[in-house]
Amino acid sequence: MKISRREFAKTGFRVIIGAAVSSTIIESIVTNSIAAEVSPGGGYDWKEHLWGYVVDTRKCIGCGRCANACKLENHVPFDEPVYRTWVERYRVLKDGEVKIDSPNGSINGFEDDIPAEEIKKAFYVPKICNHCEIAPCVQVCPVGATYETEDGVVLVDYDYCIGCRYCIQGCPYGARYFNTEKRTADKCTWCYHRITKGLLPACVQACPVGARIFGDLKDPESEVNKILDKERINVLKPDLGTKPKVYYVGLDREVR
Amino acid sequence: MQPHLKRVIILLVIALIAFIFIRSLIVPDSFGQYGWYRGESVIDNRNLQVGYAGSSSCGEENCHKTIYSIWVGSRHKAVNCEICHGPSNDHVNNVRIMPEPANESREYCGLCHFERAARPANFPQIDPETHGENLRCAYCHNPHKPWFV
Ligand code: HEC
Ligand code: HEC
Ligand code: HEC
Repeated sequence: MKISRREFAKTGFRVIIGAAVSSTIIESIVTNSIAAEVSPGGGYDWKEHLWGYVVDTRKCIGCGRCANACKLENHVPFDEPVYRTWVERYRVLKDGEVKIDSPNGSINGFEDDIPAEEIKKAFYVPKICNHCEIAPCVQVCPVGATYETEDGVVLVDYDYCIGCRYCIQGCPYGARYFNTEKRTADKCTWCYHRITKGLLPACVQACPVGARIFGDLKDPESEVNKILDKERINVLKPDLGTKPKVYYVGLDREVR
Repeated sequence: MQPHLKRVIILLVIALIAFIFIRSLIVPDSFGQYGWYRGESVIDNRNLQVGYAGSSSCGEENCHKTIYSIWVGSRHKAVNCEICHGPSNDHVNNVRIMPEPANESREYCGLCHFERAARPANFPQIDPETHGENLRCAYCHNPHKPWFV
């Protein structure tokens, strides 16, 4: 048998690639059949839940206690301009201009710096990670350090993240930030350490007017489902096809 | 089989074994347990410390039962204790650890109550310049039951 150098290289590469692919396929089949049955345990079964979040913008008073509570609960660097959740102020002026701001993520509240006579309408819009069903941040992560759990929460693996910041670029909602203390990407977890213990996320518990509602989409009696069944709801940037699980009531067309 | 082909096949098999071996060393055990990520990381995320205990734990027997029962019947019942008093789970677990003192300034009440154009009109708001003669709000209102006056 005579074989040219080119021929040899071709077959060689095929064998290597074939071997690598088949070994990963076998491995993934084996692990997937395990994963089908198990849940991380600890008295909480993630197969029984699918978390969802509703923001009622009509109720928000812009006090910023949510953003403040979030930073304290999750040890987000307090003096840096990074937020897991924040409140935006939208002001449509009589001359048609739209002013959008969120000084310090709303943590110190808002000052009225435009005279009321010039304002046509004004309102606050709380923002938070949308925990997209089809999450761009998960897709772009090169090392599998961000993922969606079975109960619908997008989390970060702080030990595995290499800090490449791809996900921060990839998020169309600006919901991710770089944590300079952990040296990793970071984001809202819907307080995963709280909700798996039956507590509410810190921002929801902090809201004094019920503008933030959290609950289980798999439970037909949950508060989020009651709102989804009754109100006219929308999501942010629906055209991107990310399928957010944060639903907004009273969303204005100016909100992006 | 020709000897040079044999050598190559042996080389490939060694490369493959080395690949699988190094991969098994580098990739953590729980990687791929539930999906293309480290399964242990879910546990890590679940085990983070809770900071906010929730108002009901303030109202337990032998604790702040009186303040709690006043507050539950007040207009401030939706304003949880820890909004004003700060995260207090450590205090709930160990009463020797005191939470930060509550912010009593006019500005703190004003975060919610000062008149602002973007606030829903039906929310009770006051003019910071004229209301209460620049006294501390708690001079006239009880923060735990604002209509105590
Ligand atoms: C609107 C803000 C606010 C809320 C909500 C609030 N507090 Fe307070 N609390 C204060 C302020 C301000 C002070 C200090 C002023 C004073 O002495 O009255 C205080 C003082 C206290 C004190 C010490 C003073 C005393 O009277 O013994 C306790 C204990 C206390 N709060 C418990 C609670 C508990 C329990 C809740 C929830 C049921 C709660 N607070 C909710 C603002 C608040
Ligand atoms: C986190 C937001 C928040 C803070 C801080 C806060 N309040 Fe309130 N306050 C509310 C809410 C919510 C209500 C209930 C409004 C309603 O029932 O529509 C309320 C109701 C009131 C009312 C009754 C208004 C009415 O029309 O019946 C008074 C008075 C009041 N607060 C005074 C205070 C004082 C004094 C402080 C500072 C110690 C304070 N509030 C701090 C959110 C807040
Ligand atoms: C000198 C006593 C006094 C002080 C100080 C005071 N208030 Fe009042 N407040 C009153 C009285 C009396 C009323 C009821 C009459 C009224 O609406 O003006 C009232 C009413 C309110 C209301 C209900 C307004 C409405 O339209 O429903 C709010 C909210 C309120 N106060 C918040 C505050 C806040 C916040 C502060 C501190 C920045 C404060 N008050 C300081 C005496 C006071």
